[in-house]
Amino acid sequence: MTADDAQPPDILLASVGKSFRNGVEALAGIDLAVASGTFLSFVGPSGCGKSTLLRIIAGLVPPSMGSVRRGAGDLGFVFQEPTLMPWATVHDNVYLPLRLAGWSRERARPRIAETLAAVELGDFAQAYPRQLSGGMRMRVSIARALVTEPRLLLLDEPFAALDEFTRFKLNEDLLRLWQRRRWTVVFVTHSIFEAVFLSNRVVVMTPRPGRIVADLPIELAYPRDSALRTVPAYTEQCRRVSILLSEAMA
Amino acid sequence: MTPAERGRALRIAAPLGLGVLFLAAWQALVWAYEIPAYVLPGPLLIGETLWRDGPSLLASLWVTLRITFAALAAAVVLGGALAILFAQSRLLEISLFPYAVVLQVTPIVAIAPLIIIWLKDEVFLSLVVCAWIVAFFPIVANTTLGLNSADRNLVDLFRLYRASRWQTLRYLRVPTALPYFLGGLRISGGLALIGAVVAEFVASTGGSETGLASRIVEAGYRLQIARLFAALLLLALTGIAIFAALSWLTRRLIGHWHESVLPREE
Repeated sequence: MTADDAQPPDILLASVGKSFRNGVEALAGIDLAVASGTFLSFVGPSGCGKSTLLRIIAGLVPPSMGSVRRGAGDLGFVFQEPTLMPWATVHDNVYLPLRLAGWSRERARPRIAETLAAVELGDFAQAYPRQLSGGMRMRVSIARALVTEPRLLLLDEPFAALDEFTRFKLNEDLLRLWQRRRWTVVFVTHSIFEAVFLSNRVVVMTPRPGRIVADLPIELAYPRDSALRTVPAYTEQCRRVSILLSEAMA
Repeated sequence: MTPAERGRALRIAAPLGLGVLFLAAWQALVWAYEIPAYVLPGPLLIGETLWRDGPSLLASLWVTLRITFAALAAAVVLGGALAILFAQSRLLEISLFPYAVVLQVTPIVAIAPLIIIWLKDEVFLSLVVCAWIVAFFPIVANTTLGLNSADRNLVDLFRLYRASRWQTLRYLRVPTALPYFLGGLRISGGLALIGAVVAEFVASTGGSETGLASRIVEAGYRLQIARLFAALLLLALTGIAIFAALSWLTRRLIGHWHESVLPREE
C-alpha cells in the first residue's frame, strides 16, 4: 500500500458540483482522491447523485463546477442494465471495445476467449443475449468492460436488478477477478452489505444536494470470499456504515 | 395431432375452404341466373381465360414488375441514404422532412400526369418515378426513426470508447434501424406495385411495352371482363408474392434476434 500511496491518484475530484438545467442541484462540493488499486463504493439512497458522480468521473457528463482529473489508461463502464447489442453474439458484444479501437477479429480472438472464460461464459460465446439469464447477461457486460484490460473500472449499480442469489454469486466473482488484477474500481450501490463485502473504502452520500458525508476504510483483509458474510467483523462494519448513513439522513 | 399442429392445419384449411365455397357459390350464381360474361364471368371462365391469355398477360406483368422493382430499389437506396443524412444532422432532418411529407400526402394520380408530361420521351422512367414517390416515404420515415432509436446507454458506451461517427453509425445505429427499415420495406413493396399500376392507368401507354394496368384498362373498354379478372388476379398474386418475399427477407436478416420475428416461448 505504501508504494501506491506515493503514486498520483487515479481519480482526483476537486470541489465538483453539478446542477441540471431544470435547477436541480445534484451534487455539491465533492472532493475525492482515489488511489490506484482501490475498490471504492459509493453508498447512498436513490437521488443522492452517486450515478451522476460516476458519469462525471467517466467523462460522460461535464461537471458544472470544479475539476476532474483521471489517470491515463483505459476505462471500463458497466451500466445498471446489461446494455448489450441484441443483434450480436456474446463474442461480438465483448469484441466491441476492441473493434472500436481498431483490433482485427483475429487479433482480438484470444483476448475475448480469455475474458469470457474469466467470467465463466466460455461455452456461450456464440449465444445471443436473449438466450441468457439476467445474471449471465450482466457477466457479458462485465466481460465487455474488462476486455480492454482497463486501469479503471466503473460500475453503476450493476447487480441491482438481480435476485439475491445471483447477486451474491456475481459479487464473489467480481471480487475474485479484482483480487487477481487489482484495477481501480468505483462501484455505485444502494446496498451497504454489498459495498462492505467488496470494498476497501466506502463513501457515504446523502441527497439534495448530493454530498459526501462519510469516507471510511473497510478493514477486512483480502482475499475475501463468501465465508466473510458470516464473520462478526463484517457485520460490525456493515452496522457502522448503516449508522453513519442513518445519522446523515436524520 | 398436437394442438399446435391442429392450429396450423386449421390456419390453412379454414381460409382455403371458405375460398372454395365462395368460388362454388359464385359459379352456381352465374349458371343459375345465366349472367352474361361481359357482366360477371364465372370463376371457370376466368381460369380458362387466364390459361389462354396467360403468356401475353405474363409478358405485361413483367413490364409492371420491372417498374415496381426499379421503384422499390430507388426507394431503398434514396430513402435509406436520406434517412442516414437525417440521422447525421438534425438541421437537415427538420428542414427536409416536411417536404418528404408533402410528397407523401399528395395523391399520386394528381402528380402523375405532370411527371408523364415532363418525361414524355422516357415512358419507363416516368412510371418508375411515379411508383417511387409512393414507395419511398415509409422507408425514409421508418429508417429515420430506427436510426434515432439507439439505446442511450449504448450511445454513451460508444462515446466512452471514443467511437467515430462512422463507427457509431455502422455498429450501432444501422443495426438498430434494420428492423424499422424492414418494416418500412414491407409497406413500400406493396405501395410500389400500387404506384406502378396507378401510373400506368394515368399514362395508359399503348404499344408493345404494355404493363398489366394498361391491359386492365383495355379489357374494360372492350368488355372482356374475364380477361380483366384474370389480370386482376395476377396483380393480387404478385402483391402477395412481394409481401411474402419481403417477410422471408425480414426473417432471414433479423430472425435470430428481433422480438418481432422470434417464436414465442410458452
